[in-house]
Amino acid sequence: MPPRNRQSERRPTRPVTITAVVDPVAALASENLDDNLYLYDTNKTVGSTGFGTPELHSRVRKGDTLLWNVLPLECETYVALIDIEIDPRIAEPTRKVYPGTDIVFWTAEVKQDITEPVPYRLSFLLGTVSTPFTPTARPALAGPADEERGGR
Amino acid sequence: MAQQHGIIVLFDVENALRTRSLDGNTYWFDNMKFLGSAGVGTEQLVTIVPGTHFSDGSQATEQVLNWLPAVLGAIPPTVPRNYLAEQERADDRRTLRELASLDGEGGVSDADIKRLQRRVGKRARKSGGGRGLTESKLLDVTGRTTSDSGAYNYPAPVITDITGPAVAEKIMYPAQYGSPDMIYDGWYWAATVDTSRPGVYPYTMHVQLHELVERNDELVWESVDLTCGSSLKITNDPKRNGFTGAGLGVLPLPPVPAAG
Repeated sequence: MPPRNRQSERRPTRPVTITAVVDPVAALASENLDDNLYLYDTNKTVGSTGFGTPELHSRVRKGDTLLWNVLPLECETYVALIDIEIDPRIAEPTRKVYPGTDIVFWTAEVKQDITEPVPYRLSFLLGTVSTPFTPTARPALAGPADEERGGR
Repeated sequence: MAQQHGIIVLFDVENALRTRSLDGNTYWFDNMKFLGSAGVGTEQLVTIVPGTHFSDGSQATEQVLNWLPAVLGAIPPTVPRNYLAEQERADDRRTLRELASLDGEGGVSDADIKRLQRRVGKRARKSGGGRGLTESKLLDVTGRTTSDSGAYNYPAPVITDITGPAVAEKIMYPAQYGSPDMIYDGWYWAATVDTSRPGVYPYTMHVQLHELVERNDELVWESVDLTCGSSLKITNDPKRNGFTGAGLGVLPLPPVPAAG
């Protein structure tokens, strides 16, 4: 058993990262992003649900910094997150790039505590297709309150 | 040869370090869902390896697998190769330029000095057992220099071995290869697969994660060795002509192009 980290109790100051894993070749071939999009976040221990589906529910709190990025399964095919539509009273995502690159990520701060899940919409550009792909299924931000009401 | 398989393993490094286990903290993907891979995006990936044989029973297709680790909640692997090292240098150059341009005559303000000191960031030492890590400045998950040891970007996990029934039974032959870029961590694991024996064969991946600890007033990358697992499902069908669907033979082309 490796030694435990003495620092592990201190809460890190990293943002809550929401990563979209995209299989761009399969999505382009089937023209269906829903079946080829897998969402994850770094808040599983806080109670986020829907890992590996396009309907990830991320548990967040007021003041959290959120960061969305993309991991393509095929590194030679272009994938970029080009838009996030969400109620601006909850969060206003801003597009940024990793310094010195054109690789995009988005960040936002959660403006208020959330009682009901707030669905949002992600749009991606894939390959050389100029029309964005927007999955039908929608991920959501959820508050710390219990949200066990049947739906994912 | 068939298309190579890319098997991507996404690690929730933060949780794995906290629980000292990869159980529930890995998500596996490959690019063969359309051929029958199961459990893509979960911890229970079964990678399909569609083998073929000639009519005399000999193996007709080799299959090559490549494994690529990635970290959830870190700078994605799509940034240019050597990004962390390049970014550190670019940052140092910018800091030096700004330092040189500080005007000594009117006095240098404390605020300027503080700002540049922050930019200098912190470096972490490599511990003796660490593999595949280069010493560098700490960057945060947005690619900026940080001196906060709680905000650093997790380095990519390093695969140290692949073992288990799939290897012991000589179904696959994994090995680590060096990419031409030897200076910075240019290593990857790949395997060839014997597709002549259909079945499901599990394997174990040995991984080294790195965590930053403070020891004797300095930051050190401490290595943490853990394991996780997946399976290969080998199938073996007779090789057939992809155009006709029938056995091998000449393509259904007329011997002489049609006139006119």
